Amino acid sequence: MDFGYTEEEEKFRERLAEFLDKNLTEEIARQNWEDLGVGPEAREFSLKLAANGFLGLSWPKEYGGQGLPPTYDFILLDELGKRWGAHVPLDIGYTMVGPTILRRGSEELKREFLPKIVDGEIEFCLGYTEPNAGSDLASMQMRAVEGDDCFIVNGQKTFNTECHYSEYHWLAVRTDPSPDIPKYKGISLFIVDMDSPGITVRPLWTMSGERTNEVYYDDVKVPKKRMIGEKNRGFYYMMEALGSERNQVFVPGRLMPILGDLVQYVKDTEYNGKPLSEDPLIRHRLAQAAIELEVAGLLADHSRWLESNELPMSYEPEITKVFTSELEQRLVDVGMQILGLYGQLTEDSKWAPLRGRISWYFLHSFMTTIGAGTSEVGRSVIAQRGLGLPRAY
Amino acid sequence: MDFNLTEEQKILQKTARDFLGAECPSAFVREMETDEKGYTSELWNKMAELGWMALVIPEEYEGVGGTLLDLTIMLEEMGGACLPGPFFPTAVSCLGIMEAGDEGQMKEFLPRIGAGELILTLALTEPLNTRYDPFLIATRAERKEDHYVINGTKLFVPDAHVADDFICVARTSGEPGSKEGITLFLVDSKSSGIQLTPMKTFAGDKQFEVVFDAVKVPEGNILGQLNQGGIHLEPILQKAAVCKCAEMVGGAQKVLDMATEYAKEREQFGRPIGSFQAVQHHCSNMLMDIEGGRFITYKAAWMLSRNIPCAKQVATAKAWVSEAYKRVAGLGHQVLGATGYMIEHDMTLYSRRAKLAEVAFGDANFHREAVAFELGL
Repeated sequence: MDFGYTEEEEKFRERLAEFLDKNLTEEIARQNWEDLGVGPEAREFSLKLAANGFLGLSWPKEYGGQGLPPTYDFILLDELGKRWGAHVPLDIGYTMVGPTILRRGSEELKREFLPKIVDGEIEFCLGYTEPNAGSDLASMQMRAVEGDDCFIVNGQKTFNTECHYSEYHWLAVRTDPSPDIPKYKGISLFIVDMDSPGITVRPLWTMSGERTNEVYYDDVKVPKKRMIGEKNRGFYYMMEALGSERNQVFVPGRLMPILGDLVQYVKDTEYNGKPLSEDPLIRHRLAQAAIELEVAGLLADHSRWLESNELPMSYEPEITKVFTSELEQRLVDVGMQILGLYGQLTEDSKWAPLRGRISWYFLHSFMTTIGAGTSEVGRSVIAQRGLGLPRAY
Repeated sequence: MDFNLTEEQKILQKTARDFLGAECPSAFVREMETDEKGYTSELWNKMAELGWMALVIPEEYEGVGGTLLDLTIMLEEMGGACLPGPFFPTAVSCLGIMEAGDEGQMKEFLPRIGAGELILTLALTEPLNTRYDPFLIATRAERKEDHYVINGTKLFVPDAHVADDFICVARTSGEPGSKEGITLFLVDSKSSGIQLTPMKTFAGDKQFEVVFDAVKVPEGNILGQLNQGGIHLEPILQKAAVCKCAEMVGGAQKVLDMATEYAKEREQFGRPIGSFQAVQHHCSNMLMDIEGGRFITYKAAWMLSRNIPCAKQVATAKAWVSEAYKRVAGLGHQVLGATGYMIEHDMTLYSRRAKLAEVAFGDANFHREAVAFELGL
């Protein structure tokens, strides 16, 4: 057993930390975490990350990567997270789409897309959820009909968050509507140009001010060569990517700056002539958050380790997801209790403590146990895959 | 990063699991709860033959030369089997001697502990300790010529009735509460002036009040430095806390195994109760608690084994695992329903021990305060 990092990994971390301290500004971090849209600053930062060799470390050399173990990408995510950078600037391509293209895509698709992803040039938006396909994702109805040289796609997606600034839609659609087969056996995956004629994107605004979207397809033509792998195997590809996605999206290190800000706040803030940090209740609640953060880090380390060593993952990334997302809610709740009346103030308000960040996170945290799969679905996955309990539905 | 056990550790784990499965079934555990001695010499000697008492003792003292991490792997299995008897207090005392003892004491004690010939226990807690506080020591040791005289009352001393020696935590200067002025003494349990009274617990383990009434102890029996016992105690109690966590993780895993098995077999409304989401979610909550608890316990043990400062990780482990095991025991009862509440069901062995372990070597409140301190609060 070894809970440490190698000397090379530590050296990489130091080099990266130095780079990020210099280049990752508040503005860039915000463009990421608020999903308002990756602006020119974050785009430029993405290119700089790549130019300095911090992107694509664990990707194969033939597609522009460096052929190192995934640990290096996890270090990148941790170091970004520690500095409020929720993920790499163009993360859907980097953490979700790219790996599936690598596993299942044609050689032509690999050559076209992977180097651009590794160079931090392009972004994808996820096209999974539909109005009637949320937790029961396999019941999606958006339809692609095969023509001579292309598929014709019609229908609607919803809560597709990155569509207003991405170049490509990573689209899952029904290619076999037969009622005689299980629903998950009739789905295929495509890469669609977002500027294709017939696509309409409409904004949906969240409680915490993030933008997500509805996307409508009206006779959109998608070339056949843009299909990933085999027809009707798309749902399998989505599921096999899930563990790795969870490992890269649910990064406990992202919660560290929240805890750090709160620790500083209770040291700096007085009540009745004493710093809040001397209040036993506050000490215990922050300590409990720190304890859970350490535990979350280990749960994540474990599933990352499985992935890095190409060992089978089943329920482990789901544990990371459920635990980390729920911890975020508990941590932010502690923060809101500490801030008391001031917690309700928004960033632009004169008396807002901690730049309004806890206030924003409080609103945001309602989403974490819903997005990318609810905690309820997650717990059933853990029970069924991890403990072998019979299927509930 | 590597979450694998070594080949040796895997063998150790399997040997312990197989041996305890055969030699320490739940019927035996239950029998020992009402037995006066609380274990059998036969089982103790077999464990000694397997080298378990020698596991962490360095080879130069006829030990196996294993690490604290090896010991936690063993203790996890013991916790899973609810092993009765003085293995745990002997192991903690052994770690104490390794931490603070001089060459002579190591030579005198370690080989005999390793051979299973000596049983030791730590006499720490006192009536003043209405909460866990290892430095709130009022028991006095006063110097008289070439020896010390100890006066005081110790509580919750495990297996004192079978111990050959105590490590008695006494005050040689200063006032209760101060880390300074504490000294550790190795005290022969046959010394005159020692009086034992059993403290009956609901887990049927054997804990005692030990009164030291003018007990004479030779100067040479000081373990470590005079007045430096507080400093010696810190790493000893860190290791003890992590060892306790390992036992708890093993117990919690057993609870989950029982609950999962039952959820698959027990049918209501025409289907296994394990197919209901409410029951599934209880089980997955247990699994999350246990995996987190196991990793933080291993990490703390790994850091202690490598002498990496880890006050925060040790406190995190004991705080998390104490509450995790309690939650797991509660959920285990919930899944097992009325049948698990019956005294003859194994579930009751674990829920009772979960509570004892939770408050041993500091509960979650105690360790949260330690984490707060480490956060700079």
